[in-house]
Amino acid sequence: MERSDTLIFGCGPMGQEVAEQLIGRKLPVYMYSSDLDRVAEVLAKGFDAAVLDYTDDDKLRQAGIGEWVKVIFCLFPEEAKNVFLTLSARALDSDLKIICVSESPQSGQKLFAAGASKVIDPYEISGRKVHELIARPMIVDMLEHTVFGKHLDIAEIEIPLDSCLSGNPLSALDLGRRYNVVLMGVVDVEMSDSLIFSTSGVDHKLDAGDMLVVIGPTVEITRLKGDLEEDRTDQLLGG
Amino acid sequence: MDNTHRLIQTSYKLKDSVRYRRAKNFFYDLLENPKARIRPYFDVFMILLVVSSVWVLIYDVRHDMGLFDDLFEWVAVTIFIIEYLLRFWIYNDSHEVILSHYERAEFINQPFRAWPALREVVAKKWEYMTQPLAIIDLLAIIPTYRPLRFLRIFLLFRLFKLFRYTRSISEFVKVLNEKRIELFTLFIFMAFITFTAATALFFFETDVADGKGVGSFFESIYWALVTMSTVGYGDITPHTTEGRVVTIILIIAGLGVISFFTSIIVSAFGEKMHEIRAQRVFSEVERKHIDLIVCGYGRVGQVVADQLALDQRQFVLLDPLESNVRLAKQKGYLAVQGDAADSALLESLGIATQAKRLLCLTGDDVVNVYITLSARQMNSQIEIISRANHRENVTKLRLAGADHTVAPYEIVGLIAAEYVGQPVAFEAIYGMLTGQNDVGIEAVRVRSGSVLDGRCMADVGFRQRKLIPFGVVREGGCPVGGSSGTYEIEGRCFHFNPTSDFQLQAGDLVVMFGHEYSVVHFRDCLERGTL
Repeated sequence: MERSDTLIFGCGPMGQEVAEQLIGRKLPVYMYSSDLDRVAEVLAKGFDAAVLDYTDDDKLRQAGIGEWVKVIFCLFPEEAKNVFLTLSARALDSDLKIICVSESPQSGQKLFAAGASKVIDPYEISGRKVHELIARPMIVDMLEHTVFGKHLDIAEIEIPLDSCLSGNPLSALDLGRRYNVVLMGVVDVEMSDSLIFSTSGVDHKLDAGDMLVVIGPTVEITRLKGDLEEDRTDQLLGG
Repeated sequence: MDNTHRLIQTSYKLKDSVRYRRAKNFFYDLLENPKARIRPYFDVFMILLVVSSVWVLIYDVRHDMGLFDDLFEWVAVTIFIIEYLLRFWIYNDSHEVILSHYERAEFINQPFRAWPALREVVAKKWEYMTQPLAIIDLLAIIPTYRPLRFLRIFLLFRLFKLFRYTRSISEFVKVLNEKRIELFTLFIFMAFITFTAATALFFFETDVADGKGVGSFFESIYWALVTMSTVGYGDITPHTTEGRVVTIILIIAGLGVISFFTSIIVSAFGEKMHEIRAQRVFSEVERKHIDLIVCGYGRVGQVVADQLALDQRQFVLLDPLESNVRLAKQKGYLAVQGDAADSALLESLGIATQAKRLLCLTGDDVVNVYITLSARQMNSQIEIISRANHRENVTKLRLAGADHTVAPYEIVGLIAAEYVGQPVAFEAIYGMLTGQNDVGIEAVRVRSGSVLDGRCMADVGFRQRKLIPFGVVREGGCPVGGSSGTYEIEGRCFHFNPTSDFQLQAGDLVVMFGHEYSVVHFRDCLERGTL
């Protein structure tokens, strides 16, 4: 069995959707369910899947949790199962990324308490999206076609060690002119997860390990990444 | 022959006359049209007139009001007569009846005969006169005629005229009317018991000594009804054992009749209540010109409704589940319990007339497709946003006529994939794009003659205002062979990250990231024309 570091628990429609998206991004996934029929269904659709009793910690360990697995998705339709799985997985591995779906704000809190790293509420997001479609249709259309479509990508680019960018203030970067990208800001991973917006009053001093968050066409992002890796000062800072 | 000819000529003239039609329409609005603006004023006026004329009648019993009484009566009756005649007139178009007869005769090449046509005209008007409400109107007028003064008690019929002017009373009558079979059964049963008991009592109690017996059969009927209804005045009481046995049986039967009657009325109102409530919602939707219909108050519907309420937008909810409707009402939203697949219901909510947007947010794709399809057929202009629970149904919804689809599972898949790939960037930006953060994406329209019109991007000064320009949406297609950062979006062109010499023009939509304060400030500056 090939060792996949992303596992999906729950082979329902949501599990299949997530698996499809991940495979589309060249990320191999393995699906598990306690329901034999479901597993047969997704196997028939060409996914890698197996039956697994998620209540048994030994079985979970055999599947790789606490060993090589980095991310798991808890996508059972039943809230209680998700909570149980989250708790068991968190007990086995404290660094594991556990992503759950929740049906309501209350269950979201329970999942967080059980140790989930991220809780996605599909209905909340869909509802907000419908509202956005009503309130600002133009912007939604635009985003739909660009950022969430195929034209533009959101990317995070890590500043390598000893980069020429280190020590420069965020405001000194004028990537928008040199590359066809929009620099949203930077995340100082050591400090916090939140984005330091590129035009916020705080002028963050860049250093190695910071993540630049940019939006732009794939070619431009690849060019920027390449230049960063090769540390081409002339390109990045304009001489 | 000449008369026939004149009849047809007059009919055509009436049909042609704009003034005649306008006058008729005006009186229709005034008297009958439930949607007319003027109607409520007329109704209130008539209610006051009826009530005051009855009050005068009551006051007149003990007091002498002299001339005022007669004058008031005269005015009221004149108004009643005019009203009666107007209703008689607008009930139907007699000339239409004649003309349809005439045209039919012409069509099949037969000579036109006036009599059958006139007979139908009279029949139509007679149909009006025999309507219960029309009879009440007439009864409210007749007693004023001097030789028929003894009919004065019928002046009380004027109170019945109130049926015409108040909706709740007529709804009450409608409810009773729907239960007429049950009520009729009950009436037969009651009549049977009354008659039997009255006969038995009359038989047993007539010859009681001291003259305490029942005097007549009418008295014993009166006694039976008083006893059965549990009123029991006690003015007539049985004295013989046989009479008392009859009373016992009658009392027990009476309890049954009373409870049966009560339960019929209660259940009739129970059944009718949500219809009456729905009716209220319909009229409110129409009055407030609510143009947004939300079908389904599940999880997605709840989020949408809360957001819309935050925006202070008006909307009406539709959900088949009673619990959901109750929840919506608790939050103060306008909601109707019902199946959105029922096109009559959608019609009552104005889907074909005033509605501009329809949201299909039920958890069942089949229902969503059905609603979308039927709504699209009823209104080709309406904007339909539909929820697609399975990806394969997106195309079906589009085919059915949805303008936009939102797929919850697909969104989860997208988020999950982005999250696994690049958690930091995604976490940072996602909230921004979906409007969950203070910092968000906003669009500003360039109006012709504003300070932005004709200005280069570099001169706008986004950076000083802490805004990041994201792109510009321009009407019309993209220039062929334009620069790499342009994308076609449904007939518009999106210029991503425009260069600093990009010149804005009127009609452009400038999309930017920024804190909401910055955006508000920017808009304010634009309004004042200072950059």
